[in-house]
Amino acid sequence: MSSSERGLAGIETHMLAAPEIDRPGHDPSGKPVPTSELALRFSGVGHRYGSRVALDHLDIAVPRGETVALLGPNGAGKSTAIALLLGLRKPHAGKVEVLGTTPRRAVAQGRVGAMLQTGSGSGLPPGVRVEAVLRLVQRLYRHPAPFDATVERAGIGEFLGRQTQRLSGGQAQRVRFAIAIAGDPELVFLDEPTAAMDVSGRRAFWRMIRTYGEEGRTIVFATHHLEEADQNAGRVVVVNHGRVVADGPGATLKAAVVARRVRFVCKRPDRELLDSLEGVTDVRVNGTGVVIDSLDADATVQALVQRRVGFKDLEVTGAGLEDAFIALTGAEPNHLAEDR
Amino acid sequence: MIPLLAFTRFEVGRLLRSWKFLVVTVGFPVVFYMLFLGDRSPNKVVDGVLPWRSYLLVSMCSFGALVASLTAGGARLSAERASGWSRQLRVTPIASWSYVVTKVAATMLVVLPVLVLVEAVGVGFGGVHLGAGMWFELSGLLWLSSLPFAFLGVFIGLLVHAETAFPVVTALMFALGYFGGLFVPVASMPHALQVVAHLLPSFHNTALGISLLAGRPPAISHSLVLLGYGAALALLLLIVHRREESRALG
Ligand SMILES: Nc1ncnc2c1ncn2[C@@H]1O[C@H](COP(=O)(O)OP(=O)(O)OP(=O)(O)O)[C@@H](O)[C@H]1O
Ligand SMILES: [Mg+2]
Repeated sequence: MSSSERGLAGIETHMLAAPEIDRPGHDPSGKPVPTSELALRFSGVGHRYGSRVALDHLDIAVPRGETVALLGPNGAGKSTAIALLLGLRKPHAGKVEVLGTTPRRAVAQGRVGAMLQTGSGSGLPPGVRVEAVLRLVQRLYRHPAPFDATVERAGIGEFLGRQTQRLSGGQAQRVRFAIAIAGDPELVFLDEPTAAMDVSGRRAFWRMIRTYGEEGRTIVFATHHLEEADQNAGRVVVVNHGRVVADGPGATLKAAVVARRVRFVCKRPDRELLDSLEGVTDVRVNGTGVVIDSLDADATVQALVQRRVGFKDLEVTGAGLEDAFIALTGAEPNHLAEDR
Repeated sequence: MIPLLAFTRFEVGRLLRSWKFLVVTVGFPVVFYMLFLGDRSPNKVVDGVLPWRSYLLVSMCSFGALVASLTAGGARLSAERASGWSRQLRVTPIASWSYVVTKVAATMLVVLPVLVLVEAVGVGFGGVHLGAGMWFELSGLLWLSSLPFAFLGVFIGLLVHAETAFPVVTALMFALGYFGGLFVPVASMPHALQVVAHLLPSFHNTALGISLLAGRPPAISHSLVLLGYGAALALLLLIVHRREESRALG
C-alpha cells in the first residue's frame, strides 16, 4: 500500500513518506526481520467460536519496540487476536509466536503483560485493597517493576488504600493497567484501555503510554477509536471480519482510501461530467454545492479548469480517518456516536 | 513457591477480612448450636455415652467447615471468575494449576479458625469441657477430614455459573447438613435416611469426631468414605481444570 506513488495533492505529502515499517516482518529496505527481533507474529491464523469465524487467515508481524494499534469495529476479532497472543485460546489454523516462543511460554516467563477487556466485571478481586492486589501481582513476577514507579505511571496513588469494589470504572481500568505493567514486561497488550476513562484521563493515559513505549517496550492496543489509533500508534492494523484490511501508519490509511475531498459551489453542476473527471471516486451534489472525493486532487482540479466547470469557493481537504475506516470496513465507527 | 505462598496469604487475608464471610460461616453453626442445644435437656445423652452438647458441638464444627468451604471455594470463586480476575491471573506467570491449589489451601486455612470459634462457643455457651490434648486432637481430626469439603467448594466454584452458585451452594450446605445428620442425630432418623446419611461425607466427618469424644476407635469405613470422596473430588477438580484449559481450543 505504498500511497506516496499516487500523486496526491501536495499539502500533506510529508505524512505519506514511506513509513518506517511498512510491511509486517520486513524492515524498510524490504529484508525480512529475523524472528528473534519480532515481538509477535501471526502466520495464517484462524480461530472459530463454534461455527462463527472470528479470525480468518490473519497475518501480522510486529517488530520489537513498536507501538501498534489494532483498529476495528465491534466483533472484528481484536480481543480474540489478543486472547491468542496470550495463549488464553489456541488457534485452529496457523501459528502464533510471541517473543520468539509460544504465547504460553512468554506469559510464564513473565515477559508479557496484559489489560484484558472485562465486559461487565471490573477484572479485580472484590474485598481487598488496591495495594494488596498490586503487591500480589508484583510477587508473581521474578523481575517486577518497582512498586512506586508502577503506581505513579498508572496514576493510582490516590486510591491505593481503597477496596477494589469501590472504584469507579475509570479507576478500575487504571488499576488493571498497573497490573498489566507490574511485572515490567517487554510486551504489553491493552484491550480498549481507555473505554471507561474521561477525556482528560484519556489524554494523560496516552501521554504516559507514549513515554512507556519510548523506553523500548512493544505495545499492542485494541481500539475502535480512530483518533486514538492514529495519534498513539506508529502503525495501525485495521482488522475487520477477522482479517487484516489495512496495515500501515495512520496517515497511510487515510491516503489509501479517500485521499482528498474537493468542495465547491457551481451554478448548474453536471453530475455526469464531474463523475468522469480524473481521480474522482464519488460525487455528491446538493443544489449548487458539490463534494467530490478524489484519489488525485491535483488532477481533478486541473480537469475542473480544463473542462471549464465554473466553480467558486473551491476547497481541498484531506478526507478524515473516519472515511478511511468506513471505506475499509464498511462499518460506522462507534466513537462517532460515543464521543460526539 | 514464593508466588504460591503470596497468593495463598492474599486469599486467606481476603476471606478473614470479609465480614459477610465470617458472619455466615461462624454465624450459622453458632446460631444452630444455640438453637438445637436449647431444645433439649443439657444432660441428654445420645449415641450411648456422649452428652448432646458435645455431640452437637462436633456436628456444628463439621457444619462450619462445610459452610466455610462451600462459601469460600464455591460462591466467592464463582463470582471472581465472572469478574474477570481469574482470567487476569492467567496472563501472569503463575501456573494455572496453582490457582486451584491456592483456592483449596486458602479454604482449608480458613476452616481452621472457624472450627476454633465454634469450639469456643461450645465451651462458653454449651459448657463442653475437654482436656487441651483432646481439643487439639478433635480440631486436627475435623480439620483434616474437611478436605473433601474444600475440594467440593472449589469444584463448584469452577463449575457453576456465578448466578446459580448461590442457590446451589445453599442447597448443598443444608442437604449435606441435614441428611448427614448434623442437625438431627442419625440414630433418630428413619431407616431410609440413615442409609442416605452413610453415603455422605458430612456424616463420616462428624462420625470421626464423635468416636474420638466417645473414646471409641473410629470405624475404618469413615476414613475410607472420606478418602474416596477426597480422591473423587480431586479428580473432578482436575477434570474441570483441564476442561477450562482446553476450552482454549474452542
Ligand atoms: N466467547 C465467545 N463465544 C462465541 N463467540 C465469540 C466469543 N467471543 C467472541 N466471539 C465472536 O467472535 C467475533 C470476534 O469477537 P472479538 O471479541 O474478538 O471482537 P472485538 O474486535 O474484540 O470486538 P469489540 O470491539 O466489540 O471488543 C465476534 O463475532 C464475536 O461475536
Ligand atoms: Mg474486544
